[in-house]
Amino acid sequence: MEQELNRLQQEAEEDLGQINEIAQLEAFRVKYLGRKGGALTSIMRQLGTVDPHDRPRLGQLANDVKQEVESWFEEKKEQLTATQIRHTDSTTDFSLPGRYLPYGKLHPVTQVMEEICSIFEGLGFAVAEGPDVETDYYNFEALNIPKHHPARDMHDTFYVTDSILLRTHTSPMQARIMEQQDPPLRYIAPGKVYRCDSDITHTPMFHQVEGFLVDRDVSFADLKGVLTSFTHKMFERELALRFRPSFFPFTEPSAEVDIACVICNGSGCRVCKRTGWLEILGSGLIDPEVLKMVGYDPDIYSGFAFGLGVERIAMLKYGIDDIRLYYENDLRFLSQF
Amino acid sequence: MKFTLSWLNQFISTEGLTSAQLADKLTMLGLEVDSVEELFVELEQITTARIREVNIHPDADKLTICEVDTGTEIVQVVCGAPNVRVGMLTAIARPGVKLPDGTKIKKSKVRGVVSAGMLCSARELGLNDDHDGILNLDDQLATGLPLAGALGLRDTMIEVDLTPNRSDCASVRGIAREVGSFTGSILQPLVADVTPLTGMNLGYEVLIHAPDLCPRYTARKLTNVTIGPSPQWMQQRLTAVGMRPINNIVDITNYVMLESGQPLHAFDFTTLKGGKVIVRRPAVDEMTIITLDNNLRQLDAEMLLICDAERPVAIAGVMGGLDTEIINTTTTILLESACFNPVSIRRTARKLGIPSEASYRFERGVDPNLADSALQRAVDLMVQYAGAQADDNGVDVYPGKKPLLLLPLRIERVCTLLGLNLNQEQVALLLKSIEFSVTTIDDKTLQVEVPSFRIDIEREIDLIEEVARLVGYNEIPTSQPLIRMDYPKRDDLRTLRHEIAKILTTQGFFEAINYSFVAENHLDLCRLPEDDYRRRVTRLLNPLSEEQSIMRSMLLPSMLENVRRNINFQKSDIRLFETGKIFLEQSRDTLPEERLQLCAVISGHRYPEAEPLYYSTQETDFFDIKGAVVSLLQVLGVTGTGNGALFQHNISLVQPYCDPDCAVIIMDNDNMIGALGAVHPETLKGFGIKQQVYFFELDLQQLLSSGRKEKKFKALPKYPSVKRDISLVVPDSIPAGELLRAIHEQNQKYLESADIFDVYRGKPIPSGYKSVALSATYRSPTATLDDQSVDKMHDKIVNSLMADFNARYREGSEE
Repeated sequence: MEQELNRLQQEAEEDLGQINEIAQLEAFRVKYLGRKGGALTSIMRQLGTVDPHDRPRLGQLANDVKQEVESWFEEKKEQLTATQIRHTDSTTDFSLPGRYLPYGKLHPVTQVMEEICSIFEGLGFAVAEGPDVETDYYNFEALNIPKHHPARDMHDTFYVTDSILLRTHTSPMQARIMEQQDPPLRYIAPGKVYRCDSDITHTPMFHQVEGFLVDRDVSFADLKGVLTSFTHKMFERELALRFRPSFFPFTEPSAEVDIACVICNGSGCRVCKRTGWLEILGSGLIDPEVLKMVGYDPDIYSGFAFGLGVERIAMLKYGIDDIRLYYENDLRFLSQF
Repeated sequence: MKFTLSWLNQFISTEGLTSAQLADKLTMLGLEVDSVEELFVELEQITTARIREVNIHPDADKLTICEVDTGTEIVQVVCGAPNVRVGMLTAIARPGVKLPDGTKIKKSKVRGVVSAGMLCSARELGLNDDHDGILNLDDQLATGLPLAGALGLRDTMIEVDLTPNRSDCASVRGIAREVGSFTGSILQPLVADVTPLTGMNLGYEVLIHAPDLCPRYTARKLTNVTIGPSPQWMQQRLTAVGMRPINNIVDITNYVMLESGQPLHAFDFTTLKGGKVIVRRPAVDEMTIITLDNNLRQLDAEMLLICDAERPVAIAGVMGGLDTEIINTTTTILLESACFNPVSIRRTARKLGIPSEASYRFERGVDPNLADSALQRAVDLMVQYAGAQADDNGVDVYPGKKPLLLLPLRIERVCTLLGLNLNQEQVALLLKSIEFSVTTIDDKTLQVEVPSFRIDIEREIDLIEEVARLVGYNEIPTSQPLIRMDYPKRDDLRTLRHEIAKILTTQGFFEAINYSFVAENHLDLCRLPEDDYRRRVTRLLNPLSEEQSIMRSMLLPSMLENVRRNINFQKSDIRLFETGKIFLEQSRDTLPEERLQLCAVISGHRYPEAEPLYYSTQETDFFDIKGAVVSLLQVLGVTGTGNGALFQHNISLVQPYCDPDCAVIIMDNDNMIGALGAVHPETLKGFGIKQQVYFFELDLQQLLSSGRKEKKFKALPKYPSVKRDISLVVPDSIPAGELLRAIHEQNQKYLESADIFDVYRGKPIPSGYKSVALSATYRSPTATLDDQSVDKMHDKIVNSLMADFNARYREGSEE
């Protein structure tokens, strides 16, 4: 038996020396160490039949051999595994696609809207969302747009009843929030808005972010400062800005804000109608009538408000040329952003 | 509002400014210029030429061969006009030149004779409708001159997009006034003198019975009028701003309206009965009037009418009546220049659906002090261009005369609100540049007299806006507001929406955004019964189409439309989600309930496009959508309140659009917060989808209020766990999940977790049974468990399962 053990040990060492692939290791393990028919396992089972006098010594020897072979085996296995980690098969085709799980993306409008919100949140503005179906009072009257005011022509409104409508802007949140809270206030109101208008540049539903700030001594210069900061952050460069007088019934003075065309850098192109400027938002100091209606004293408090169209900014950022693509939810579109 | 540069220059000089510079200045003043268009550019290439010789064409009776001096050479042109004569000065278009209608002139042969160009008629040149012969120009003109210059046609049309507050700028002179603020040039008056109108000894009278709706009415009678075309220059200006010339009287009323902002109306005086003009609301029996566009119009009690002694003859400020219209034989007219209430005119024009240039101006407000000078201007033009004789006197009824508004303006307020440093003098100077009168109250306050044409200026803030505008918004500095720091409030629903978006996009879902309004038949396609709460919809009064007529009460239908669209475009592996509002009507007079919901759909293959290389091609099934929900709820930490299972298969609560064979509801205690499953085959068919679609929907408000696990640290185990597997054969009707639940219900102290790792039906398991392989993991926090104690716990669990579920071990022969 002693001879047999020595022979097996030597044979195992030689066998192992021949092995250079992990796949061959299992056969080796079965041959020598296998639970059922392994040579060393079998020989140890025979220990019971040897002379009890020799049994301890032979037992010890058998154990030593087995442990030795096992440790060789482990060593070899480690060695081969390490080799395998170092080298990929020389035939690997690296041009094959990677193996990945499906991924999805947020809608480009959401991405841009969240970016807008996070810039203003960074400036300390809180976010509030109001109802899409709104009363005539909050959508118009509280914003200084009485019935039969020509400014209503600027809003092609969807009506539910005479006094209930789909909000045409997110500005109603100005009145809703100011009614509930006292200055200082900094809020933005993102959300869906609706106008009955549908063509290549208009969809009957679109997204707007309304923002306002009310405190003592808030000035037009402050409005310019905040919107300039926002625009530079949003377009990631110090674009030229132009504020020009306009009219909104709920702001006075009112201003449209143009940025230097992001397509042609101001030299004039089709997108900016050769003016070099792109209109991106409407703004102004909150009209004293609006402040009075919520019970603020306009001689004490002043504020500014602004509203911007999310789709328009996304169009400029990504070069999208047809607004209707936004709501078809075509995966070929959604996967691009 | 459109005008031409030459027209503007009639009132103010713009010397030294190019049209582009002028446009930019106007835009920065709040009069946004929409377009600048050079007029008659085509006539720059067409030149004056003199006919030197005329010969009959040998092969055509009606054609002549003309020798024409173009100023640089003599050319031969074949011409068909009857009025050619030797010595005539006319216009020639040479080969290569384009006519205003786009025709390109080519050198050609006409019946064998070479023609090096074309002699043009007025119609061919786009000047007027005259096509009886070629243009016959003033003999004194030189040859070879560009026609645009020779005819004095060079001009620029500028269009301004007026904001509704600036009615004063709905006129050429109004724009000129604004131009004066930056050029400093003098604004010319509309007329030099205005004849005083006393209303005495006229033979007719004007009565205002509705002074609330008509603050002023002026009128003048003109006799011996000859109706004919208006002068060429007037026609050109009207055409340039998009108005069609009609006849001298109508053209003059339009021309003066565009010039001054005052709408005018001319009646045929002889058709007015009883020598009276009465401005009033309709009498009870006056139901209709035929307007001059020959339409019968329904009147209502609040509409303002111009009437004669017997009947309505015009809808005030909106449209005249047919009976009193100016016709070719009219010789005596009554010319009206009046001011009407803006709200009344707007209401009437809207109700009748006849917006006009006149109503546009009245709705926005016309300066009542303008009526007499505009009337004078029109009278002067009619005398000059319609041979009219004007009565020496006329009517001026002015019940609404008001003193000019005086507003105090605090300089400190101007500076604070604009963030500018201006002194009193600077502010005064700015306001004076647009004809405001300014005096000083004290060293801090100005008194500003608001001119009557600026009806939009009513308050101090309006004056501050004028100051800002005149300074130039770009001259105002930028600063950052100083505001107390405060942590902004967070909206939990918004945060939840963000979390959900993050989780679902990492699971392969793309976000969709659909319209909030949908087609009503969605509800039928979703098989909702008549009493389903989702049929309580909010309906639009004026939808764009049937497809967008109700506010959505569920998200799934639009997403099914998205699925169909994508399949049609060969994208059939689809994972989409949307978080959006649904709307449920409460009552007709209140706002609907708006609830934020989440819906997701899966269809097509499970793995991405590279799948065949690495995975077997597999279609998605119920467990993909369930997995999406489970992981979503896991990450959110939603465990549900109460002891009930989160997912339940409850036949009585299956949604009608869900396949009853593949439907699960999501419960939080007794609240159903969502559902998932396969879309009902009929619904799929209704949406035109031929492949299986799985969906889930969750109500986010309910989800937010459902039980969420608090994030709390648990010490990592120090001792190893022991795992035991067990294979049981149980009746098919027993859900595997029930076995797990039963295991947990035993409350074994050291049971850490239990999982299902295999379910098998089929041979050699007898039919009606299935094999379920479970593994249980045991661990003690205080010691390493020995085999014996694990066996004890495990046997207890297994035995109770066997007893409770009529189960038995899966035998070796069943492997």
